[in-house]
Amino acid sequence: MLKILRSRYFWLVLSVVVVSLIIMSKTSVHRENITLLEKIVRETYTPLQSGVSGIRHNWDGWTIAFANKQQQSRTIESLKKQNNDLTLQNQKLREYRAEALRLRQVLSFAQSKRDEFDFISARVIARSSGNWYRYLVIDQGQEAGVAKDMAVISPQGLVGRIGTVSQHSAQVNLITDRETAVGAILQQSRETRGIVEGLGNSNRLRMANIPYYSKIKKGNIVVTSGLSSVYPKGIAIGKISKVTKEPSGLLLIAQLKPMTDFDKLEEVLIIKNYHPPLEALGEDAANE
Amino acid sequence: MNRYVRIFILILLPWLAILLQSTIFSTYSIKGTVPDLVLIFVAFFALINGEKKATVYGFLCGLLEDLVLGRFIGMNALAKGLTAYILGKLQGNVFKENIMVGVLGVLLATCINTLSMFLMSLVVLPVFHMDLGLGMGIIYQIIYNIVLTVPLYLWYYNSSIYGRLSYDREF
Repeated sequence: MLKILRSRYFWLVLSVVVVSLIIMSKTSVHRENITLLEKIVRETYTPLQSGVSGIRHNWDGWTIAFANKQQQSRTIESLKKQNNDLTLQNQKLREYRAEALRLRQVLSFAQSKRDEFDFISARVIARSSGNWYRYLVIDQGQEAGVAKDMAVISPQGLVGRIGTVSQHSAQVNLITDRETAVGAILQQSRETRGIVEGLGNSNRLRMANIPYYSKIKKGNIVVTSGLSSVYPKGIAIGKISKVTKEPSGLLLIAQLKPMTDFDKLEEVLIIKNYHPPLEALGEDAANE
Repeated sequence: MNRYVRIFILILLPWLAILLQSTIFSTYSIKGTVPDLVLIFVAFFALINGEKKATVYGFLCGLLEDLVLGRFIGMNALAKGLTAYILGKLQGNVFKENIMVGVLGVLLATCINTLSMFLMSLVVLPVFHMDLGLGMGIIYQIIYNIVLTVPLYLWYYNSSIYGRLSYDREF
């Protein structure tokens, strides 16, 4: 025992562990700004993640062009080149069509909501690199006016909130992240309120603190309650897939399937400002 | 000269791993689970170079992950440092030429790393929900890591003995 205490490696390791634990406690998700070192690392990754995402979008066209090129090595050279070009063009056009349909949906949604929200649109360039936290990296940052704690949505529903921001990119903590909680209400009945939490290890959500007398059932749609300062009211969160009782029997727990498919999400809208409609203000005043 | 090339490659590997994990592999995830390429490279380094160097390397690789993630800086660093230390202890006791050593090493590393992250999460997070999904996610990650280990270990071992990652060879 004394021999270990005399070893300098022991004290070095111990001091590193203690410093790490102190830094860990100071760098939770709730801190206001990230450090300069983190900003430098993020800004190094942002253009590369954008580039790799771009390559991945065009991958289908390239693989088919490659296969066609192999096949056409047996035919006349001019037809080979023409077929290559047409296939590549066709694949690119299909990709553009899919992108146009997605963007049209996003634009149509943004235009329909333009009286209520001021949006910043962004493209997803990277996703969680680990399995413990759920987040996206988007290609808009401080320069575009993105700030911490802004709500992020898609035409399908709620995505999450801005966690950390650097100059040209930002991290969106998804609602499926284990550190995210959203005040929620049932869309139809408006009487059941609860907290929707992410489980962190999958694309599932959990709604807790539901009173035992609630009429909640499978298939109900859950929306944001508007009781927090981050998420505006009425944004779809998910659909109830299962309802069970808590061990105490006083409360219910529901599992939700998110409205948004986070694995396929390519574009998001960041809510810069929210102007609640007059009827919503009246409803809130009546409830008070 | 080889020393600097070696250091450059050792820095580049985790850096590229994080880039690939967050872009390509996140698209081809299994039920939302991505492989931990950084852990794979740390495990390889530990098996070949021993516990002292591996602990430092694992700690720095984890720290890079923490800086990219921006949350609880130090958690991945400590987890990977500990994993590398334990795995590095095996260095003198295994036949590194055998690919099964790499596979079992990565399996062990994934389990140790996951357990370390889980224990630290219990301490720093106010609430931690545990369910079957967490266990299934770990199993998927083990499978994904092992599948990637097979081609990567052969390359890494040969490079460490005969190639750019070796200590002795000059280019």
